Amino acid sequence: MTPAPSRNGRGGAAPALTGGTGNWSQVRARVVSQRPYGEGHLWLDLEAPTRFGVPRAGQFVQLLLRPPSPVLLPRPMSVAAAKGGSRAVTISFLYGPVGSGTQALSRLTRGDEVDMLGPLGRGFPIEAAGTPVLVAGGRGVAPLLFAADSLRAWGRRCEFFFGARSSAHLCGLEDARRRLSRLGGRLHLATDDGSRGFRGTVVELLEKMAPKLEGPLVLHACGPHGMLGALARWALRRGVPAHLAMESVMACGTGVCRGCPMPRSAASMERYRRTRGDSPSLLGNAEYAMCCTEGPVFEAEDLDWDRVE
Amino acid sequence: MSSRTKAAPRKAAAPAAVDLRVRIGPMTLRNPILTASGTFGYGDEYAHVIDLERLGGVITKTVTVKPRAGNAPVRIAETPSGMLNSIGLENVGLERFRAEKLPKLAALRATVVASLGGETPRELAHLLEALGDEKGIAGFEINFSCPNVAKGGARYWAVPRRLERTMRLLRSLTGGALIAKLSPDVTSVADLAVACEQGGADGLTAVNTFVGMAVDLDHMRYRLNRSTGGLSGPAIKPLALARCHEAAGAVSIPVLGSGGIMTGRDALEFLAVGAAAVQVGTASFVRPRAALDVLEEMAQWLAARGMRSLESWRGGLKAGTVPAAGAPWEGKA
Repeated sequence: MTPAPSRNGRGGAAPALTGGTGNWSQVRARVVSQRPYGEGHLWLDLEAPTRFGVPRAGQFVQLLLRPPSPVLLPRPMSVAAAKGGSRAVTISFLYGPVGSGTQALSRLTRGDEVDMLGPLGRGFPIEAAGTPVLVAGGRGVAPLLFAADSLRAWGRRCEFFFGARSSAHLCGLEDARRRLSRLGGRLHLATDDGSRGFRGTVVELLEKMAPKLEGPLVLHACGPHGMLGALARWALRRGVPAHLAMESVMACGTGVCRGCPMPRSAASMERYRRTRGDSPSLLGNAEYAMCCTEGPVFEAEDLDWDRVE
Repeated sequence: MSSRTKAAPRKAAAPAAVDLRVRIGPMTLRNPILTASGTFGYGDEYAHVIDLERLGGVITKTVTVKPRAGNAPVRIAETPSGMLNSIGLENVGLERFRAEKLPKLAALRATVVASLGGETPRELAHLLEALGDEKGIAGFEINFSCPNVAKGGARYWAVPRRLERTMRLLRSLTGGALIAKLSPDVTSVADLAVACEQGGADGLTAVNTFVGMAVDLDHMRYRLNRSTGGLSGPAIKPLALARCHEAAGAVSIPVLGSGGIMTGRDALEFLAVGAAAVQVGTASFVRPRAALDVLEEMAQWLAARGMRSLESWRGGLKAGTVPAAGAPWEGKA
């Protein structure tokens, strides 16, 4: 009887988890292809056995390099596309080789293998009522390309806001454009330096455009925490539901290591106190939510944005 | 990492053929592989990916009298061949542990060792009074060595007389196995080990994480919120081996080796230098099945050398070194 949108944890119910606390597995995945994606970014397609669940937009997986590897821990990677099939599951990633782990990942070629654990965490509740407004900052665009795909499968139009420092950092722009064109969704661009689209932040652009959008709105966003904080405050002031994909350093990704705390808001603390009996130990505690199991997609009102790093 | 995480050939040379049982006080373990505290939840969280019954034991996350929310982020930093953590003993507290976790642990059919933490001897006594006779708990590991708390951490407990008195107090409160987990960051692990033995400990764990630090030069900040954290993973294995060897040489009670064990060979190295059993920690973050892989690799290694029991193999470590030409630099299988 529980309607799907209750996943957002509203209405006093304990947040139902879509992943992270049990329905994941660790499998050997094979590189199908890896190609440049513009501005130093890469697009990686992996193929996994079908027992690996098909992730939803906003969920992540842990990629573990096969030995010899320059790093010890797996890398939490947001999923940019996923497709279930009868023979295999194909999961794709859009990333920048910024650290030693992702640099090693960038050297993988067709046929190479990695260990993949997932799907993990809570994704975007894209079925939530309202006009979906997707807001991407920089390479945070990855899960939103996936969200746009999922919305298209549901036959829903969306407004896609994409911001970056400059036009050179709007990576994935053509993909986003292609995805939107098929459904008549609209793309709104912003760059800090004005080299493409609106000059200013993507939140400023949203502020300007919001009156012209058909409401009620529901936001799904991913990007730097500064941008997400600004977006959360904007949404909270207007009572617009906002679902924000956060990032954290992680070790296990499954809730066991307790390494990725996110500071709860007062409202979230209160909700935790009321429902804590239903919360398995893999979720957060009274003060901190765990990014890997309660997130990485949080609602704006769930976090204390003044304390988010 | 080189050959470390290579998957074990799964067709197992019938590990059951080697007698791997280990006794620690009143507790008999099926084999010497346990999961380290703080790396495996309270025991039930990984039950869907790993057959807990096959492990020697599962050591829970440290439980304290009151719930603890843990330290502010950032709590994790990866370092070369290792990781720093500053979790700060986050746990559900005694009340919830008893109400919500114990029933699940009792149903697991695993050998459960509860890790207990306290800021004072009295707090530890309180925990043991509450849990000492619980049927679902085979033993207790007393965490005398958390590097990430302001009070009641590794520094506070690294005093032999305090340890001995506390162990004596705790001994009177349970018939279960009592294991003292020691810090490596001390002048003499041997002195602490002897104090725990004299206080009545059934076993020792050597060692907890090493205090470490990492700096983010780009932002001129510490990488962990509390500046320091506990270092674990392959980076500490040689250090932990030496501490384990030191502790085992100083006492006659069993020592559980811990620190950077990723493979069956790593486990055997600890057993070779005197450990009775070992704990797999950080490896479980990388591969939730790691403890079972370590067990299978170890059993296969012993079986391949015709060993019928762990006991028949132990104590074979010789003095001196192997001439360079035959040195196993890279850990040949």
